[in-house]
Amino acid sequence: MKTVLFLVAVLVVLVVSCTKQNSTPVEMLNEMLPPDSTGTDNLKFAGNFSNGPFGSATGTAKVYLQNNQYLLALTDIAVSNGPDLHVYLSRELQPIHFIDLGKLKSTKGNQLYEITGSPDFLQYSFALIHCQQYNHLFGSAALK
Amino acid sequence: MKKCFLVIAFVVVAVLGYGQQQPLPRLNKFVDFAATVGSSEGSVAGSFVYNWRIGKKRKWEAGLGIRATSYAGTKKDFTTAPGRLARSTTTPFVIVFAGQKTENWDTLTVQRPFVTAVNLSANFGYNFSQRWSAGFNIDLLGFSFGRKSSAVLTSNGITTTEPAAKVRAFNVLLTGDNDYGSLNSEFFLKYKLAGHWSVRAIYQFYFAEYNTTSIKQTAPDGTMVDRFRNKVNSVGAGISYQF
Repeated sequence: MKTVLFLVAVLVVLVVSCTKQNSTPVEMLNEMLPPDSTGTDNLKFAGNFSNGPFGSATGTAKVYLQNNQYLLALTDIAVSNGPDLHVYLSRELQPIHFIDLGKLKSTKGNQLYEITGSPDFLQYSFALIHCQQYNHLFGSAALK
Repeated sequence: MKKCFLVIAFVVVAVLGYGQQQPLPRLNKFVDFAATVGSSEGSVAGSFVYNWRIGKKRKWEAGLGIRATSYAGTKKDFTTAPGRLARSTTTPFVIVFAGQKTENWDTLTVQRPFVTAVNLSANFGYNFSQRWSAGFNIDLLGFSFGRKSSAVLTSNGITTTEPAAKVRAFNVLLTGDNDYGSLNSEFFLKYKLAGHWSVRAIYQFYFAEYNTTSIKQTAPDGTMVDRFRNKVNSVGAGISYQF
């Protein structure tokens, strides 16, 4: 009977412990565009991050066009950590229609994200740091 | 692969090698607790089963039960559920083997699915010996409840947030993708320990279903779809107490 109870306990622990928390790395990143790509001709939109209701974010979001490829550059950003943080281009401040650029690579530093296709930035006018798992906004930047 | 066959052959020989000493009791009533683990998901189930043993040697058994299954996961993909969109035919039973119409499928990634389904179940088994048996069970009809969860609908490359996807409340087995709701089924091998206890090795196939509340998929035929299904394959173990 003790063996049976032990086996059940092991199973319960296995099931409960198999949940990923997906926290964001905290190491400083320094991804930069080449200097000749960051001129005003290449810079299309930019905005400063402000805090969201569930986290804090500072720094700048800039959209560059380089060799017909849009890139989102997050510069000098600092974001409070959380689970499953993603970088969105969104039509709304609280994202309903959005383009997921991927997981936030780090909570601080300079980072680059490729933007697939040519979205209409007059519609997708917000860069967001968003916790996808809990649908919580950590920070936003209006791109102008 | 050879090793796999050897292991299976060993198990079969070991199981069949036990001679039956005396006929098994006519009734097999037991409660069972099972747990399964998959990739970033898992389930626990508790059930009561009332089986009748049939045939001259009472090796076969069949009956009904009631089972509560709780399923939880993280960031699981649910795909378009209605059978007419998911498969090439909706003919009962045939639909299980029908071709998949993946061009109609959209994906609802439910961030934190958690479903508890309470269902009537059908149970079947074959007793190789006094100690060894194997069987199959499947949920038939019942209801579900659980946590609302945010989700992301990906439709033709466009991503949209569903703020509060909810568990589909009504479950019914209609075979394959005709099914509605959350339904559990298991293949298992069972070994009777001393006394009233048995242990089971389980292969589980579980359907979980969520409805969107704010957004819908627009299917190629123009219909709006709010039902999305996750098909879970997992393995686990169970323990039974026989009355």
